[in-house]
Amino acid sequence: MAEAAILRNAVEATERIARGGRNLLAGIFVAIALAFAVFAGMTGDTFFFRLATEALIFAGLALSVDLLLGYTGLLSLGQALFFGFGAYVSGLVLKNVAPSFWAAIGITLAATLLVGTIAGIISIRARGVYFALITFGLAQVAFKVVFNTREIGGSDGIIGIPQIRAEFGLFSVDTQSPAGFFLLTLAFMMLLYAGCAYLVQTPAGRLLVAIRTNESRVPFLGYSPWRAKLFAFVAAAVVAALSGSLYPMLRGLVSPELLAFQISGNAVIMVVIGGVGTLAGAFYGSAILTMLKSVIGTFTEYHLIVIGALFMLSVIFFPKGLAGYALPRLERWVARRRGRA
Amino acid sequence: MKRLTIIAAVAAAFAATGAYAQSGPIKIGVVTPLTGTYAGIGQQVKWGIEMAVKEINDKGGILGRKVETIYEDEEANPNVAVQKAEKLFQVSKVDFLTGTVNSGSTLAVGQVAERNARLAATTVSFSDAITGDKCSPNMFRVNAKAGMQSAALAEWMVKEKPNASVYYLGPDYEMGRSTVAAFKAAAEAKGAKSVGEVYAPLDNKDYSPFFGQIRAARPQVLYTSVAGNDTVRFLSQLSEFGLAKQMQIVGAAGSVTAQNMGAIGKAAEGYVTGAAYSGEIDTPANKKFVADFKAAWKADPDLYGVDSYGVMYFYKAAAEKAGTTDTDKLRTAMRGLEWQTPQGKKTMRAGDHQAIQDMYAVKVVNGKFQIISKVPGEAAVGADTCTKF
Repeated sequence: MAEAAILRNAVEATERIARGGRNLLAGIFVAIALAFAVFAGMTGDTFFFRLATEALIFAGLALSVDLLLGYTGLLSLGQALFFGFGAYVSGLVLKNVAPSFWAAIGITLAATLLVGTIAGIISIRARGVYFALITFGLAQVAFKVVFNTREIGGSDGIIGIPQIRAEFGLFSVDTQSPAGFFLLTLAFMMLLYAGCAYLVQTPAGRLLVAIRTNESRVPFLGYSPWRAKLFAFVAAAVVAALSGSLYPMLRGLVSPELLAFQISGNAVIMVVIGGVGTLAGAFYGSAILTMLKSVIGTFTEYHLIVIGALFMLSVIFFPKGLAGYALPRLERWVARRRGRA
Repeated sequence: MKRLTIIAAVAAAFAATGAYAQSGPIKIGVVTPLTGTYAGIGQQVKWGIEMAVKEINDKGGILGRKVETIYEDEEANPNVAVQKAEKLFQVSKVDFLTGTVNSGSTLAVGQVAERNARLAATTVSFSDAITGDKCSPNMFRVNAKAGMQSAALAEWMVKEKPNASVYYLGPDYEMGRSTVAAFKAAAEAKGAKSVGEVYAPLDNKDYSPFFGQIRAARPQVLYTSVAGNDTVRFLSQLSEFGLAKQMQIVGAAGSVTAQNMGAIGKAAEGYVTGAAYSGEIDTPANKKFVADFKAAWKADPDLYGVDSYGVMYFYKAAAEKAGTTDTDKLRTAMRGLEWQTPQGKKTMRAGDHQAIQDMYAVKVVNGKFQIISKVPGEAAVGADTCTKF
């Protein structure tokens, strides 16, 4: 009994340190984002605020990919399906139902729970590469359907989605205010992050890690991997769709390209650059990739080649991603502080 | 070096919010696909604009100011296009934006222009919606829209074959169906009789299953809007089955192009389409344009090259008429503006921002498009359906 308690304490201490490192990494990101906001706010900038807001929105998509890939071991190549779904639902609600932030978020959430469950039941039947292919296929089908459905704009998408004010009782945020919407998006994404970070430390979250490690053994512990995987899939779908629901508020439009493989692929690249299984890494990956695409695209028309080469270099030299490289160092620092306290 | 000055301009621009310069070079932002499927069109856009800018700068610029262009790759993706357009407006402080190719990007960029209180023009997109129900007070179109191409073709068809019976074969997706619907409406309005329509899957290999239906309907004219390699297979098989001889084949402007004409070979002979431009237009202005273009880029100009060349003269004429690059005054000047292009005189209709120009019916003769009839712009352009301004 005593040995078990010691073991348990040791495991919990390691986990606390890991959690501390992860949250510290997210905290640093918020600090950087706020410093950027102060600087950009002082210089009266609009473009970089809105570009950074877009980076945050795509970070939410990357976060959902990491939840599946980093914790459950499921590589989704079609996460843009839910991102685009969220964007379309939110855009249609804002344009045709009510120009309300909460209506858009609420209806997106409800619709995604339904669609995510159906897509999940189809997808999680398969494992490994077959899961990746099914998610890819589902997203391609959805892309083609949206592309050819004239009622929701067909290949042109939907423009003219109104600018709104997000009401929070005491105050409200105009989605067209670059600084205001940036801060709102930052807060929103941190809530999603906190939700995911909380999720992975619950018993349900541990079960996901157990599935990633060895799915066949999970039933012997008395758990159903099917139910846990469906839960993870739907949670990731919700995170992706809620992120997507902010997109039309920022840009005032949605287009079928939001469901295209390019978006899903970019999200995976963001997670790999940021660090698989770190959650906070998704934010760094998205910030880096979005900025790189914008800057390099201006300098040369061969930007895709440059970004591809940078991606390969980062995989070779930082195989665990940026966060994967930084985390052990941060954890040591956290451990030292805990040790002193 | 040019990039450095842009970065310096960014730093300077941070201080001056909102105000756009009325001195220094006039900046034209070009958001166009430089990579991917539409890179070939983006290339023509770039060539046309570069050539016009060089000519204009050699003659002293616009309002005594040099013209400078800044290119951004939009990857034919509206989500990329809005981001790049915003960068050009906010960071590079461009005075005018052009270059978008697919209609989704053009519509999206029009909205960005509205929210940044700047003007933009498309030289390529031909979706009727851009100057129709989705028109924008800040977007202009200097090229012909799809409806004008259909109108030119329908005009020729009823003159050549009054009360013709027409059969339609289109590719089975949204754009394919809408092009067929547009031409059908234009043809029926002029007295043509529709005897049937059928849609083949994209990338269809064998068209013979459709030939039975077509033969049974006994049309005098067969209209098609399939594109690319689908046209190669469709027209070749039609000719092998001997059906091509029994009817006149007409089609959308994008069905038979310089790109796939070689592969279609003899089966393309006699094909007629509606077009806004042909290198064969026999005017001194066009001959000079074609010769200069070939000398500069070692390639023939196409529709996109000539319209992108023309948009710079459109902007020049408007800025000189307004005497300023101020958005509201420029918009007023652009409305109803007449300007000269290699295609001839064009007029910007005030009500929907659609350029009116003469249209042509062209026929493939010995592997080249020959002009066989001309339709005056006023007759081709159709009613103004824009209600937003």
